[in-house]
Amino acid sequence: MINALRWLVFAIAAFAMNFPILVTLVTSFKSTRELSTNPGLWVQAPTLDNYLAVFQVSDRLNIFLYLFNSITVAFIGTTLAVVLALPAAYAIARGRLGERTLLPFIVNLRAVPLIIFAIPLYMMFQWLALLDTRLGLGLILSIVNLPLALVILVNAIRDLPGELDEAALMDGASRTQILLRVIAPVCRPAIVTSLIFGFITAWNEFLFGLMLTTSKAVPITVGASFFFAASGGGVQWGVASAVMVVGALPPVLLGLIMYRQISGSMTAGAVKG
Amino acid sequence: MNAQRAHSSEFRLLAMPLVLFLLVFLGFPAIVNLIYSVSDVSFETLRQPKITGLSNFAAVWNDRAFWQASWFSLRFGALTALLECALGLILAIFLSPLIERRSWLMAILMLPLMVAPALVGLMYRLVLHEFAGPVPYYLWAWFGTSVSFLGPTSAFWTLIVVETLQWTPFALLLFYMAYRAIPTEIVEASAMDGARRWHLLWYIELPLMAPTIVVALLIRFIDGFRVFDNVYVLTGSGPGGSTASLSIYIYEAFFKQGAIGKAVAASVILFAVSFAVLYGLNFIASRRKGALT
Repeated sequence: MINALRWLVFAIAAFAMNFPILVTLVTSFKSTRELSTNPGLWVQAPTLDNYLAVFQVSDRLNIFLYLFNSITVAFIGTTLAVVLALPAAYAIARGRLGERTLLPFIVNLRAVPLIIFAIPLYMMFQWLALLDTRLGLGLILSIVNLPLALVILVNAIRDLPGELDEAALMDGASRTQILLRVIAPVCRPAIVTSLIFGFITAWNEFLFGLMLTTSKAVPITVGASFFFAASGGGVQWGVASAVMVVGALPPVLLGLIMYRQISGSMTAGAVKG
Repeated sequence: MNAQRAHSSEFRLLAMPLVLFLLVFLGFPAIVNLIYSVSDVSFETLRQPKITGLSNFAAVWNDRAFWQASWFSLRFGALTALLECALGLILAIFLSPLIERRSWLMAILMLPLMVAPALVGLMYRLVLHEFAGPVPYYLWAWFGTSVSFLGPTSAFWTLIVVETLQWTPFALLLFYMAYRAIPTEIVEASAMDGARRWHLLWYIELPLMAPTIVVALLIRFIDGFRVFDNVYVLTGSGPGGSTASLSIYIYEAFFKQGAIGKAVAASVILFAVSFAVLYGLNFIASRRKGALT
């Protein structure tokens, strides 16, 4: 009896929380004609026309470019964050360097409204000709990713036994060699987790994409909103829905496959942060 | 001794790239922020800002829209944090016997966390649309009436619901982990002592979960306070600036009004307040940790 009630509550919660995703998915399979008569939650005559329309490149809209931009900036933003965070995490965990300064500052960064850096960054990018470039947006996304990557990696290295380093030190290895040959390989799960998490965060970022790009480097979160202003005759809801499905799919798939790692690191970042 | 010193300098070298990167991409902008906030600056005079004192701060201080946005951010952060944590806590505890046996149920509940908030906001433009949206459609069909969800009276509450539905899973996940981590011996021992289910929950389980609840409230408040993406794509800042968060206020001051000085001064205020609050919280947390050990 109580178990049936639990299932009911689960069903309602899952339905309510996933409602916009469901509606968008259903709408993306409706023809323009059906949309004008049937806004409900079922499809009478499913069609793929909206997806074909989304992948139609025009002067104004180019979904391939947006997807390519998102992949590139997410890649830069994720790898750079880990490349910068790993040696620093090692220095913090083993050298006890910056434990009271650098670490709390970067952890706090996760909680600061990033808009406060946005305006000078916009001007700086203008001077450096980084506005509307994938490199520029990727650099900023790595700042967004740094706090969680650093926390995950510091925790992972702290959990390693110190004898690992001692043994290598006895053999005359330098700290850099130990980091590359001993620590990094053992920390691979933590590195993979911060890469996945960073990729999802970077892919889903909107504010900096909106401010720092205009046409050439527009990521999908911003590009998707272009479809809402498309063509004079109001929003084409079928096409707009298809765009959102395409734009949401990569992080959702990644999240579904790796949800165990993600749930673990989400709590790690939360509790230690 | 010498070797040790060599090591500490090598550690410094290893942390150096990160520090330099932060100095360039955060330190430099912070300095620019500070200089511009006390200057008379426009897009034409970007490179020769004239220092004029605190007039930008006065402009922000006297701007009704700034206080409206601050009030919006505070209310939005507090209400969504409370709602998300309350819902998440109830769901986590009530559903935990189901999820324990079938962990894929958690994957379904976590799905909204994977979708960009900007896209979720755009999705609600469809969901709530008066002609194409299913919510108004079913409201008309079943009740013969509908609500102007993004109109002046309900926009705020619509945004609260949108944010809460997307981020309740985050609280749920945190609380589920914390609930599972409660040692079974404690629960069994109190059950032997004849503790009722409610007493167990109230006197044993919830106090053990209290640190997680505080952390979740804090994180959700912060994210609600600095909200931008979903609010921006759903309502812009309207109707009549009533749904502008502080992030949106700064964005619009800069990009829409070209009021660089005001936008930068508001950034500096937000910067100072955020770091003061965050370091204050860190300080309290470390003091309490120290008191415990």
